[in-house]
Amino acid sequence: MFEFFNQPEVIKIVVTVGSMTLFFVGLFGLLTQKHLIKIFMSVAIMETALFLLFIGLIYKQSALAPILTDNQQGFINMNDPVPQAMILTAIVIGMAVLALGVSFAIEYYKLTGKTDIDEITSLRN
Amino acid sequence: MSSVLFIALPLLFGFATPLLSKFGKNGVAFTSTALQLFLLFLAFSLIGDKPYIEIISIAPPLGISFVLNKVSLFFVTLFTFMMVAFSIYYLSYRKTDAYKNETKFFILLNMLLASAIGLVLSSDIFNVYVFFEIAGISAYILTAYKKTPSALEAGIKYLLTGSIASIFLVFAIILIYLNIGSLNLAIIAQDFETLPHNIKVFISILFLIGFGFKVEIFPLNFWVSDVYEGSTALVNSLFSGIVVKAYLFAFFHILYLFLPSGEFSTFLIYLGAISMIIAEIVALKQTNLKRVFAYSSLGQVALIFTAFALQSIDAIQGALFIILAHSIAKIVIFLALTTIEKNYKSLDINVLKELNAPFLRVVIVIAMLSLLGIPLFAGFIGKFLVLKAFAVEQIFPILAIIIIASLLEAVYYFKLIGFMFEKGDRKDKIKVDFTHKFIFSLLTFLILLVGITPFVISGFLLDSANVMLDSISYIAMLVKG
Repeated sequence: MFEFFNQPEVIKIVVTVGSMTLFFVGLFGLLTQKHLIKIFMSVAIMETALFLLFIGLIYKQSALAPILTDNQQGFINMNDPVPQAMILTAIVIGMAVLALGVSFAIEYYKLTGKTDIDEITSLRN
Repeated sequence: MSSVLFIALPLLFGFATPLLSKFGKNGVAFTSTALQLFLLFLAFSLIGDKPYIEIISIAPPLGISFVLNKVSLFFVTLFTFMMVAFSIYYLSYRKTDAYKNETKFFILLNMLLASAIGLVLSSDIFNVYVFFEIAGISAYILTAYKKTPSALEAGIKYLLTGSIASIFLVFAIILIYLNIGSLNLAIIAQDFETLPHNIKVFISILFLIGFGFKVEIFPLNFWVSDVYEGSTALVNSLFSGIVVKAYLFAFFHILYLFLPSGEFSTFLIYLGAISMIIAEIVALKQTNLKRVFAYSSLGQVALIFTAFALQSIDAIQGALFIILAHSIAKIVIFLALTTIEKNYKSLDINVLKELNAPFLRVVIVIAMLSLLGIPLFAGFIGKFLVLKAFAVEQIFPILAIIIIASLLEAVYYFKLIGFMFEKGDRKDKIKVDFTHKFIFSLLTFLILLVGITPFVISGFLLDSANVMLDSISYIAMLVKG
């Protein structure tokens, strides 16, 4: 039964459907949740879904890890290293923005005691 | 080598600041300003060499590459100049009302400069994303710097919209990589037009949403006025002088490369025109000066967006003129507002009625007239060129919208000018110190110089417009390495 899931096409479908589901879970949370921390969580979920989609679609099972050794001198039959580097960078940036956002939310809560996005309206006129 | 210096030096300064702070706060402030002055001189020294093209590639076509050509040199010079003017103003401002944890403030300023320049120079879509985020992060922190409830509220709104924007941009980049297999702008540009229509439209929409938040285009600009109101007027001068302009250039630079035939140009033109008219209408009923100028920024940025979207040389030249005029005028206005706020502790629209500062009054009026596009001021020639370009293309609805928007702009600017010259009780006189007088005089002199003798710069801007629109030679240059 598991061999069925090991086929490259099936893996691609699972990755696409799964990560897009996750993306819409995040989008749903972003649109419906009122608590600031939950909104930041939804944004993080959307980001992670995209990272999973990219890494999952670009990964080839039969290919090698992109590391040059004594036996392996050229980039033949290797996985593409660019997406991995790119996603690592994007994860770091996403983490930094998330931490900054949560710290803003905490500071704001300390000052005003509000966490509900609908109550944060002092600047609207 | 110099194109890397523009990015590397401010970033290195940021990393070295903890060491520099051993010499005290003054040391950091003066080194930061000296560094920015050095970059400004470097940029000016490059303007002379023509035609200036420099490509730095690390392991092409895979690696990082920066392109410094005429148009990016224009933006680099503009940004460093804005930052120098800001820094010199702040050097004098900090004597009486310094920001808390000043070393952090200088790190953020230099990060903002480095990332704005990086957005303009990089010719690699992932680097564009990285600089997009660095500029965003430094702008979020600068917004919330004072840590008052309204500053934090503005920071949270800015950060949320910014991270949603970055999600859409990442999505677009991922789809581009999956379909084309490269991150280099030139290689993507070669293959982009041959992609299936659905994928092309989908990527373009994601891209437009991602950048749309940052270039403040309707309906993705709801956060702008709140951010301007929540943060300080001092920092706002950077937002409308540097940050938006960097995003605008990056967006249209990529658009011209990917879609040289202008497939979505009509749609973008009308999008810009709608944002312009809405921004000017909403600006009419604002009662806070920071909000008024936030909406006026939105209107001007939308005008620049409309002009860029036309994809013609005249319109781009006009847009570059407006960018120059708007940046200078807005930095003047927001720095003047900073001085007013420091003295009167309020930026309500009525504070202008009691304003007692003849020098600041003149400076603000000149900046406003330039924003309006009155002849003999810097804003005129840009608006004129844009109107001419639309008339040549015979897109008359846009002409009408631009003129109506200018009239609406005139209504609230003349209201403000009227307030300033109203007879009545005045508050205590504001003392403007020598450094501030020097900066304001220099900037207003530039407004008048560009307004009265536009030919000193129009040739350079025409060349820049040509370079910006010429995607074919950009691609050829970059692929060759």
